[in-house]
Amino acid sequence: MNIVVFIRQILDPQVNLEGIDYFDESKINADDLIINPIDKNAIEGALKFKDSEGATVTAVCVGDLKPEKAVREAIAMGCNSGIVVNSKDIFSHDPLIMAKVYHKVLEKIGEYDLVMIGGQVMPTSSYAEAPILAELLDIPSVLYVEKLEKKDDAFIVSRVLEGGKEIVQVPLGKSLFSISDSEYFIPRYTSMRGIMMSKRAQIPAWTLEDLGLSANDVGQDISDLEVLSLENIVIEKESFIISEGEPEEMVDKLLEKMKEDGIKLGGA
Amino acid sequence: MTGILVFALIRDGEIEENVLGVLNKVKNFTSLGDVSAALLCEQAKDEWISTLGKHGAKKVFVVEAPELSTYLSRAYVKAMLEIIKTADPKVVIGGGLVNVEDLIPRLAVHYNTTCLERVTDLILEGDDLIAITPVRDDQAMVKMKSKGEKIFITTRAGAFFIDENPEGQEPEIEKLTVSFDEKDRIVKSVEILKAKKTVNLKDAKIIVAGGRGVGGKDKFAIIKELADLLGGEMGATRACTDLHWIEETYEIGQTGQSVSPDLYIAAGISGAPQHICGVKAKTLIAINTDERASIFKYCDYGIVGDLHQILPILKEKIK
Repeated sequence: MNIVVFIRQILDPQVNLEGIDYFDESKINADDLIINPIDKNAIEGALKFKDSEGATVTAVCVGDLKPEKAVREAIAMGCNSGIVVNSKDIFSHDPLIMAKVYHKVLEKIGEYDLVMIGGQVMPTSSYAEAPILAELLDIPSVLYVEKLEKKDDAFIVSRVLEGGKEIVQVPLGKSLFSISDSEYFIPRYTSMRGIMMSKRAQIPAWTLEDLGLSANDVGQDISDLEVLSLENIVIEKESFIISEGEPEEMVDKLLEKMKEDGIKLGGA
Repeated sequence: MTGILVFALIRDGEIEENVLGVLNKVKNFTSLGDVSAALLCEQAKDEWISTLGKHGAKKVFVVEAPELSTYLSRAYVKAMLEIIKTADPKVVIGGGLVNVEDLIPRLAVHYNTTCLERVTDLILEGDDLIAITPVRDDQAMVKMKSKGEKIFITTRAGAFFIDENPEGQEPEIEKLTVSFDEKDRIVKSVEILKAKKTVNLKDAKIIVAGGRGVGGKDKFAIIKELADLLGGEMGATRACTDLHWIEETYEIGQTGQSVSPDLYIAAGISGAPQHICGVKAKTLIAINTDERASIFKYCDYGIVGDLHQILPILKEKIK
């Protein structure tokens, strides 16, 4: 079983850049780039099949910053190999364009059985790459997967639904799964052996030309998505925040202020 | 090519409420043309169609088939493409839920265009439909538009108000026939497991909710104790139900229940958009160790501290 996992590299959300500054590339320190957290869940899903079925897992990162770093981490977690597509020409805000690049990557890889991808790009909450890629590939797909197991001749998939979950059955064969943040997919840590492997690994860097694409095919000009502005959200709410003092003092302050404002805590 | 087509998702035997919110939002964009709705199901109920009409759909396109009894992407894409071909709308839009987020981007692919995702507001400027999506944990927002011949949009759950006194007319109905084949049935829905709806958080006046910061299954006791003491209910974020710290029935947020209590105490909750969109509280108290947590922007009162220190003291003081 050959599995391709697509991972995105993002700026660590813990980094001290608020609002629009977070998206300002000139402020980004390459050391703060991490794998989009939910994509690690997808890696874990693929590695579970490596453990149980002997699957071969390839991690692919398309990005213009330090995609090798993300792929090396994926290998350190246990992926067999990795590929990067490093191009500044890709308009990565458009999920259609990203999915088209992924589609070409899969065509070039040729032999694959499963495609796995994180359910969401965290900073923008974008989730559309997976459904778009599934549609381009025209293969069976299940999104927002929270558990994935192979049983006899089918994948038994549990997917998240509002207020519950749905069990879905997919026959074995080429399929795509987008993975959500669940207990089953809590990512493993990198191992010592993995880190050694990742250091030695040769990571091919494909160009757009290698994929049969040109800058015109994937650039902002061709995209229907037009970003008009990016602004900070100013919440006009006045919050009374208590950040100093012993716990008891803080609680007292809170209760006092609430009493002053005429807000009742209720009570049974 | 004119008009706005709203995907009308059925959930638990009713028109899902985000559909009504979206209808309420788009029905005033009259310069874009009439609003219609797409209803896909095994067998349409008259009340569904009336509801869609009341809330602003002038016309309802219906596709009925056993393959559409529950959401499965392939069959739903096929039926929707047929409706889009017939209705030829400028805008195709769906509200909130997981299955809508699954469907709408797939449709966009067939028109080789993008999808504007998780929009929380729509503004009509001239003939341009401007979409607003919050990013970076709701610290910033993107204003964007689609240059596509057709525009595909998904909206964030709970983004739009529902008209409480809708006055729309009975809509025109057009039934379309779509034939399905074996390929459309490859992926099978085996069963839908609903969280037990024993806890009704919707009507609760007071809610004490815990997030990832609670720190574990055995640490939820203080949340429950405080909720009981205040005569309220206990709630939790998706992270907690995912990690099985607490049953799913307590989940509040996009994939859980939407709540509108008088008082909401958010303990160890960071304030992620998926959670906050389900909370409309008169008074919100936040307790979190991270002073940068976005919950502090939404709260009325906040304490930067460890909930396991603060809540027991609060409990004692209330007693």
